[in-house]
Amino acid sequence: MALLQEVTSTFLRRFKAPPASLHRKWASHCRHASTGAVAQETDELEQSSFLQGEGPAQQAIERFDPAGVAKRRNRRLPPSRYQFRSPRYYRGPLHPHQPPRPSEPSSREFAPGPFSLPRLEQTYHDTLASDYMVLAYAHLPPGQTAFKKGERLRRWEGDSPYFKNRPLRGPRGGDTLRLLRKPVTFRNVPQLQRVTVHTMSSDAINSGAALHVSGMVLQAITNVRAEAHEVKKSVAGFGVRAGMYLSLTCELKGEDMYHFLSKLVDVVMPKMKDWPGVKGSSGDFSGNIALGLKAEEVALFPEMEVNYDMCVRYYLSPTFRIWLLANS
Amino acid sequence: MNAGQKSARRIAASNGPIPRDTVCFSCLHRLTHPSRRPASTAAALAESPPIPSHQQRHTNPPVTTAKAPRKAYQLLASPVLSRPPLLTRDLTSFEKAYYLYQKRLNERLALPFTRYFYYKKGTPGDAEWKRKIKVRKTPARDIGVYAAYGDEGWNDEVLVGDRTAERESVVEALVRDAEGKAIIDEEVVGDENKDGLAVAGDSKTGEGQRRDLTKVEVERPVGRVTEADTANDMRSLSRKMDRTLYLLVKNREGRWRFPQDRVYGRENLHQAAERILVQGFGIDMNTWIVGNHPIGHHQMNYTSGGAPAPRLAKITPNRLVSTSRDRAEYEQEEYGEKVFFMKGRMMTGQADIGKNEYGDSEFRWLVKEEVEEAVTGGYWKSVKDMLAER
Repeated sequence: MALLQEVTSTFLRRFKAPPASLHRKWASHCRHASTGAVAQETDELEQSSFLQGEGPAQQAIERFDPAGVAKRRNRRLPPSRYQFRSPRYYRGPLHPHQPPRPSEPSSREFAPGPFSLPRLEQTYHDTLASDYMVLAYAHLPPGQTAFKKGERLRRWEGDSPYFKNRPLRGPRGGDTLRLLRKPVTFRNVPQLQRVTVHTMSSDAINSGAALHVSGMVLQAITNVRAEAHEVKKSVAGFGVRAGMYLSLTCELKGEDMYHFLSKLVDVVMPKMKDWPGVKGSSGDFSGNIALGLKAEEVALFPEMEVNYDMCVRYYLSPTFRIWLLANS
Repeated sequence: MNAGQKSARRIAASNGPIPRDTVCFSCLHRLTHPSRRPASTAAALAESPPIPSHQQRHTNPPVTTAKAPRKAYQLLASPVLSRPPLLTRDLTSFEKAYYLYQKRLNERLALPFTRYFYYKKGTPGDAEWKRKIKVRKTPARDIGVYAAYGDEGWNDEVLVGDRTAERESVVEALVRDAEGKAIIDEEVVGDENKDGLAVAGDSKTGEGQRRDLTKVEVERPVGRVTEADTANDMRSLSRKMDRTLYLLVKNREGRWRFPQDRVYGRENLHQAAERILVQGFGIDMNTWIVGNHPIGHHQMNYTSGGAPAPRLAKITPNRLVSTSRDRAEYEQEEYGEKVFFMKGRMMTGQADIGKNEYGDSEFRWLVKEEVEEAVTGGYWKSVKDMLAER
């Protein structure tokens, strides 16, 4: 009997209300995204003694002088103690000497950056992204299902025996299939992914210097090392043989991409003489646009304006083809 | 087809006239024009059980005008007009320190500057470059004096309280460089010519006195704090340039809220939003209503002492809405108001409250935190999620 009572009491205890409201506890733990701006920068970080403390004492700050200490030291430190060198080769996961992660400055693969927060990127996140969201929003009240499109390729309808196992018919009104579109939500708001800048120099058929100058110009403007591409097919009329290096591309992403695009839009385009604008029919109407710049327009980039004599001394500045690619 | 339409059709299919209070206007319109349905909806209709023939003849029963005033909520459109940030935001101290450190690391890891590609030997540009690089010791102009390739290249972190990464220091360094000076004032040694300075006059009278050979004045960037910021002019569009500003008005009752008005006739929400901006602030504003969908919603019920207290409203046609003139003035019993917020962007111009037709007495351009202080608690709860953080 006593055992039974004990079981009952434990069973009933489960149904007792918790001492404090669960919701309040939960709410106190998570800060809602829409609450006001944080008063201090460190409020968003997790609490630790590093943030709580007052920092080093004023005396310690004044005394701290690593360069002076190193200068005053009259004996040499053993190089193995303070100079870490990443192994040149990766010798497998079981080797005692492992290379550091690429994000560490001591790694051989380390590439510094980013160096700034581009203005265009900020504009995208603060202004454009939310506008895209509003524009692309499709309202589906509860209970309503989204409109389902028919099959992209049509079946062969009819009694003909030749219709059996025949490949499906193309869409009405044209051979090309329309691009597929995903509904835009807050997770996939259209955003610029990368920009490709391409230049082809026909002068490089005769002299290798033209390609080097084009590469320097591209690199100076885009801040990305240009990649040379070889010709795939020979064209006897132009004197082009397969395997020649005539064209260069730079693929820009992230910070470089935003800086290049702001230079193009804010500096170069307003300066162009008799410019008809980017063609309205350019691009695939799905977020990707291509445009071209003539040699005299490339010369309007601020990096080129400063050093224009240098480039002209070697060769005329190259023409650009630019692709702007977005995920939409 | 959604559930609402189904129920509307059920009401329509039942015998008798359709009361206007039960079926909304768009459903009523759909039911009276069955041929306009898209093919998919028509197919779905075909699958539904057939309607008896005597009812099919009366698919469009006449709408009765009830004797009592219509019962409804007051439907309001409200443009949330915003001026997007024009300046970049201030970087946090961590971001500043991080970017400076990355720049210095880049100087350490990058290949040496190809001086002979950019400057021909013996040119003035080459001389200037040599003079400047001697002081700052590195090609980059905005990372302070730092010899990345020198013996102390390892000392790439700045000490506590260093101002190198601050915006003013970077601007100062770039301006000095553009003016032909070195990024910092170097100490003058003897009569050596530096920074475009030369020994003035004859050597007897003014030994060591210097004058500018070529004074280059470079325009400094305009300050980020404007006059409107210092004067705290809430009506100016040039205040708080690095934040989004929202247009709020003080209504007849003295309450601050977004401009709003009733939706008249058969106009859409975005048409109403555009009209409200014209009727509220004149035509001197170039605005864009972003999209046709509302971005937020606010509901308020009229109550007195906890019980619902409907108010009788007399609705007169609006002069700018042609479809509202189809009906003469009518009365409506309203249980509360439902406000739909439409997103708008400010392009150019300024609001002119003198031309306001709604009795609003004042307007202000406010950032999110100021909106919170200005509006009432319930209203803030409805609008806070649609306002941008920056």
